[in-house]
Amino acid sequence: MASIIDINNIISSPAADLALQQEVQQFYYREALLLDNIKYEDWFALLDDDIEYYMPIRRNRMQRYGKVRSREIPEYTNKDEFAHFDDDKTSMNGRLRKLLSDYSWSENPASRTRHTVSNVIITEGEEDNTLNVCSAFIVYRNRLETQVDLFVGERHDILRRSDNAMGFKIAKRTILLDQSTILSNNISIFF
Amino acid sequence: MNTDATDNSTWANDDIKGLFNDENGTLDARIYNDEALYELELERVFSRSWILLGHEDHVPNTGDFLNTYIGEDPVLLVRQKDASLKVFLNQCRHRGMKLSRDDSGNAKAFVCTYHGWAHDISGELVDVPFEQQAHCDRLDKHEWSPLQARVDTYRGLIFANWDEEAPSLDEYLSNSKPYMDVMFNRTDAGTEVIGGMQKSIIPANWKLAAEQFCSDMYHAGTMSHLSGVEAGLPEGASLNDVEIPTKGHQFRAKWGGHGTGYFIDQPGLLQAIMGPIVTDYVTISPQAETASKRLGSNMFGQRMMAQHMTIFPSCSFLPGINTIRTWHPRGPDSIEIWTFIVVDADAPEHIKAEFRKQNIRTFSTGGVFEQDDGENWIEVQKVFRGNKARKTKLNVQMGLGDSTTEHPDFPGRVSGVYSEDAARGFYQHWLRMMTEPNWDTLKP
Repeated sequence: MASIIDINNIISSPAADLALQQEVQQFYYREALLLDNIKYEDWFALLDDDIEYYMPIRRNRMQRYGKVRSREIPEYTNKDEFAHFDDDKTSMNGRLRKLLSDYSWSENPASRTRHTVSNVIITEGEEDNTLNVCSAFIVYRNRLETQVDLFVGERHDILRRSDNAMGFKIAKRTILLDQSTILSNNISIFF
Repeated sequence: MNTDATDNSTWANDDIKGLFNDENGTLDARIYNDEALYELELERVFSRSWILLGHEDHVPNTGDFLNTYIGEDPVLLVRQKDASLKVFLNQCRHRGMKLSRDDSGNAKAFVCTYHGWAHDISGELVDVPFEQQAHCDRLDKHEWSPLQARVDTYRGLIFANWDEEAPSLDEYLSNSKPYMDVMFNRTDAGTEVIGGMQKSIIPANWKLAAEQFCSDMYHAGTMSHLSGVEAGLPEGASLNDVEIPTKGHQFRAKWGGHGTGYFIDQPGLLQAIMGPIVTDYVTISPQAETASKRLGSNMFGQRMMAQHMTIFPSCSFLPGINTIRTWHPRGPDSIEIWTFIVVDADAPEHIKAEFRKQNIRTFSTGGVFEQDDGENWIEVQKVFRGNKARKTKLNVQMGLGDSTTEHPDFPGRVSGVYSEDAARGFYQHWLRMMTEPNWDTLKP
């Protein structure tokens, strides 16, 4: 795969209208509140029926083999390869069922998380009612007595206009975590 | 074994021998958290055993390399011009810098980034900057090349061993090969890798993970993975509708600490993990029938299900699920888990895609089964910080005395599927590696 995301297109795109910028950021802040307050069912309801929730694996590559970040050399595993997540609506529903189970030990007791979202850049979507949105996140997780994990990265979303209370649904989310070796015992939370 | 770790250790052999008892199934928790024992393990277990590094498919072409580890030692696995494999310490003999820092790739040479000592792909030092002026031609480049390990393969899997005296890989695998073949020898085409190595750190002792894959079907159907099972249920179904299998066996290798377990004819757990498409493929498809012919038994080709297996010390895999991993030790309380997926090389594309998808869903960093394993292991490890907790005797007695070597379908020593005979074999071999200094007594 030549590129997961066309970064140059995002960088060169004009700034979004202020009202739209505000609307999308407010969506993200509220989405973060859902996740941080373990409102699992409400968050999963934001995933549209054609959701692709995808987190590839990143690898260490020397720059001399090509411009790694501009995807001449694949820093990320491609869609035929292994990934941390590559889920559709059915498998995401399964994950929800796990979270709601009494036996979901990895999140029972639940982690305390704080999702902060920033660097929001909105570009035109491919459909009339969609937006492509790039953002950065920092997620702090504190779990049980003393476990602390920090997950930092970039999200590339396709948001679709919706008549739900939040105004949007998430049609696609690609998460680029800034870790090659995952430095925590699992990824039992969502981004 | 007259080495620094041994000379300086606070552990005498007789004390180590008291840590586990194969006859009565008792285990001393210190094996999981003692720093001095861990230093001895690196010397006596990881530097003398065959360690899984990867698959032939990771390095198909001349110069292809994989940057990996034997224990805590970084090594380069490199495909040679004659198609053979070399494994050598990823360390320049000048000041100890790494020769390569790519995860993988293709190289014509490995040049140290500190002072530029250059090595060919076989690991021979071939060029030193200002060799004439700086070393006056007194440098014996062969002598100052990186340390080489032995390397051998079994059905596509690449193992390496530092110890010249250790038995061959073939002998080392002992009588566990038929059980490995369930996953790796189903077809003429062999297996291929689904690209991408997943790596993660779990703050737990490596033996907790290796032993679980060796011997622990018990956790899967009782408590640990109930929510993982729920995640795979069809809409409307509940846990009460799931038949948790009880029929099956566990195998303890004659030598070497290897072990496996599996259900027979009861696909419930495999279904919950891999879904119907993969389950049908490995149990009732024409390809599964071919595997039965090839393996000489429909038991091995089609009827063993949800199998778990460990090749001592740190190679584990799940036939039918096809996750495979190396538990790289990182101190007494840390594992670096390296995971990849294999599929039958001649499987239809939609089957390969389904193996990929279900592995990501279940047995990966975010997997609905794996998540809960990580939770168990780190909590166990934390408990061992307690003064009493670390010295507690633990119970490894399940199935004690219940094994047979006379089973009509399954060669070797087998017991019931819910057993810890293979765990006892694992710890017994660990004990022998830790206390027997040479291969005259240790060999198969």
